[in-house]
Amino acid sequence: MASITLRDICLDYPLYGAYDFSLKRRLLGRLAGAAAPIQTIRAIDNISIEASAGARIGLAGPNGSGKSTLLRLIAGVYPATSGHVEITGNIMPLLGLNAGVNMDFVAADNISLLLRISGRKPTPALIDEIWAFTELEERMQRLPLRMFSSGMLMRVLFATATAFPADILLLDEWLSVVDENFSAKAEQRLLKLVSQAAIVIIASHDHELLRRTCTSIVNLDRGRIVNTVFPDTRPPYPVELREKRA
Amino acid sequence: MIPAHQSARRPSVLHIFKVYYPDLFGGTLSVIRDICASLKDIFSAGVLVCSRTGGKSRIVINDVAVERVRSFGDVLSLPAAPTYPLRLWRRIAEHDLLALHAPFPLADLVFAFGLGRNRPLVVHWHADIVSHAALRPFVEPLMRRTLQRAQAIIVSDAVLVENTPLLREFADKCHTVPFGIDVSKYNLPAPRPDRVNARGRLVLACGRLVPYKGFDVLVRAAVDRSFEVWIVGEGRERLRLEELIKSLGVQDRVRLLGSVPESERVKLMCIADVFVMPSVSNAETFGLVQLEAMAAGRPVVNTSLDTAVPQVARHGIEAVTVPPGDPEKLGEAIDSLIADPERRRRMGEAARQRATTEYSTAAFSKGIETVYREAAAAPAPTVRASRAAAIGWPHTIQIAAALAWSDMRHRYVRSLLGPFWMSIQMAIMVAVLGSVIGHFSNASAVARLPMLALSLTAWTFLNSVVLDATTALQNSASLIKDRALPPVIFLLQCVFRQGLFALHNACVPLILWLFLVPKDFGGAVAALPGLAVFIVCTVGLGLVLGAMATRFRDLKPIIESGLTLAFLSSPIIWSPEMINQASTVMRLNPLTHLFAIWREPLATGHVAMPSVAYVLAGLIVLAIASTVTVARLRKAAFWI
Repeated sequence: MASITLRDICLDYPLYGAYDFSLKRRLLGRLAGAAAPIQTIRAIDNISIEASAGARIGLAGPNGSGKSTLLRLIAGVYPATSGHVEITGNIMPLLGLNAGVNMDFVAADNISLLLRISGRKPTPALIDEIWAFTELEERMQRLPLRMFSSGMLMRVLFATATAFPADILLLDEWLSVVDENFSAKAEQRLLKLVSQAAIVIIASHDHELLRRTCTSIVNLDRGRIVNTVFPDTRPPYPVELREKRA
Repeated sequence: MIPAHQSARRPSVLHIFKVYYPDLFGGTLSVIRDICASLKDIFSAGVLVCSRTGGKSRIVINDVAVERVRSFGDVLSLPAAPTYPLRLWRRIAEHDLLALHAPFPLADLVFAFGLGRNRPLVVHWHADIVSHAALRPFVEPLMRRTLQRAQAIIVSDAVLVENTPLLREFADKCHTVPFGIDVSKYNLPAPRPDRVNARGRLVLACGRLVPYKGFDVLVRAAVDRSFEVWIVGEGRERLRLEELIKSLGVQDRVRLLGSVPESERVKLMCIADVFVMPSVSNAETFGLVQLEAMAAGRPVVNTSLDTAVPQVARHGIEAVTVPPGDPEKLGEAIDSLIADPERRRRMGEAARQRATTEYSTAAFSKGIETVYREAAAAPAPTVRASRAAAIGWPHTIQIAAALAWSDMRHRYVRSLLGPFWMSIQMAIMVAVLGSVIGHFSNASAVARLPMLALSLTAWTFLNSVVLDATTALQNSASLIKDRALPPVIFLLQCVFRQGLFALHNACVPLILWLFLVPKDFGGAVAALPGLAVFIVCTVGLGLVLGAMATRFRDLKPIIESGLTLAFLSSPIIWSPEMINQASTVMRLNPLTHLFAIWREPLATGHVAMPSVAYVLAGLIVLAIASTVTVARLRKAAFWI
């Protein structure tokens, strides 16, 4: 059973490059008795979140409020400075679609490499299935990604990233694909993925989206939780999405 | 160990401890026995312990299957049973719940390595490690990892959590379940005082004869007093105590009774006037035996330890508490009780009352059952410090290999000459360098070509692994930050990738060797271990320097120029007769030795021992540095 427990989590982000931390400066500073410059900023300040299976958590807040940092902390990219992290279940972080793509490789090779990175064994059947979803021509599988338009590239990456369900799904912004014909299909696939995952955490600026999809919305500001809102009525979202589009 | 048809219904518990009946009797053992007996309808139990007697390895005691692992005696109070960890690991899968009776570092070893992670673990904290305090720094990290992994920790009194720093860290997991005592066992027909013990001055003490029990203090306390002391128990202190009794001249009043069956002990408890527990160290956490005396309605004299001892029998109510290790105070306290029969009776009644109400067996088994049930129901924890721990090493290496393989294929994309343009490049380099060096030296240049080609291939491998590693993490920033892959993957990717390229290059020395050198397979085989060490050192260097160059950006140019300098100052293209091998620079240069350990056997057939020693020392340093680096890489996402 998937669960996430964060208790009194703090994360101090070290500011490498923003100050001079060289040996020379340290020795001279020690001799001159100068105060040490600020070396960290508190990106996440005393946050506690509990999520069990079925939770749909939205993270809202202005830029730099710690949404992405919190997602990365849950994904295990950043270790917490203090506090208790306990996560059960396998995590699928979809924080950026472009990670790991090699433009010089043909599409099929890219797909199998991306599958390997997420720990799946790429089989020809699996690649064909993913390719079918992109609705691109069969022969384009053998073309290098360099030659794809940005819309086509997005289709391939989206189809690969969302091919498998996960226990815990981390989304940084709704993965929107701007192709008119494809976006409805993509939206539906993402919603299916969200409905299959035990826990979903979405960071977004789109309050409407969060209210539609989430059971609770955590408002962040400068690394702290300002408040937690529970959107009360939740109509079945696919219907509403279709209405909105119509 | 538990027949399958039995464990089908009830969940099974494996009790893990160092020793069990019939090899020893004692407080902790009776706790395990009582747990097994009282929960037998809910949990089926198994016990895995060590034994010195070497009898049958599987026996059944009180309906409990006991498996005993051969031990070769005790070292530092620990059974020397080398196969215990292995056996424990194999047994873990057969049970639904593990109950570790701590302290037992041999079992901590198993849990610290993360084995048996898929079974819930409950730790019964019987005592801290007190007697061998010097070992603490080594054992404490192991114990901490065990406690981290445990679902619940059971202590006999809340005061233990307060006074044990290690337990305080896990205070939220600790459950206080006081031991229980079956008071009815002590309902003997009250012996008439005048008949059994007319003098009213019999002092009883019970326990294994080990130093922390403080029986020597009790013997000293008996000097110049009138009371009689009976000490029940056996142990390695016996000779020392006998001598002490003789030398103090109290052998007429102090007796060592040795081991006594439990029914006899109950009788002794009932006829004693005062029960004494003179323990001198915090290894005595509770004093189950004083609870027995309380159940028998005896007044207790105990010591003011930082453990539950003075909480179980409280000073002035059920006991007189004296400072530990003070014979004078102990003697006075006993004398004051001996002199006051009315106070003895009052305290004895209070003691029996407390044993009945506060320490009932029903409450004890109920408490243990609740903790066991919760632990067994809880999912196995996957607390992860890093994604690397979550993904696991085999998977990490698989991903790194897949990435490296795709990198190699990328080399062929849009290439004119196909797969072996790298080999051709190496062949040209060998030919040019060989002819240039031929001019410096009078030896045959052609005969030296295979060694030159092999050295260049090896150097190219080392050089490019290190150079590649310095930029690897920055180049893979998006995979680390957006797909949460462990950074160590990308350093391993460098090694694998350059390894694949080195295999391409290796065609050149291989062909040269086949054509130009008389075949000497013995030398080639002797060179293999050295070559393996060379590769391991390269991996270590790549990990350490790659991580450091990502953290401290000025290291990259330093490493680059350092590698160039190392190439020129090492005997890679220079042959031995061209340079002075004994010069200080050559002798101190680690690369000289790193190449010597496989080139010497290949060229001459014998191994250069000083070089091997030098390289092995370097390998140890690198291994430590790599371990630190891998731990540090958790923070690599901050660096890029």
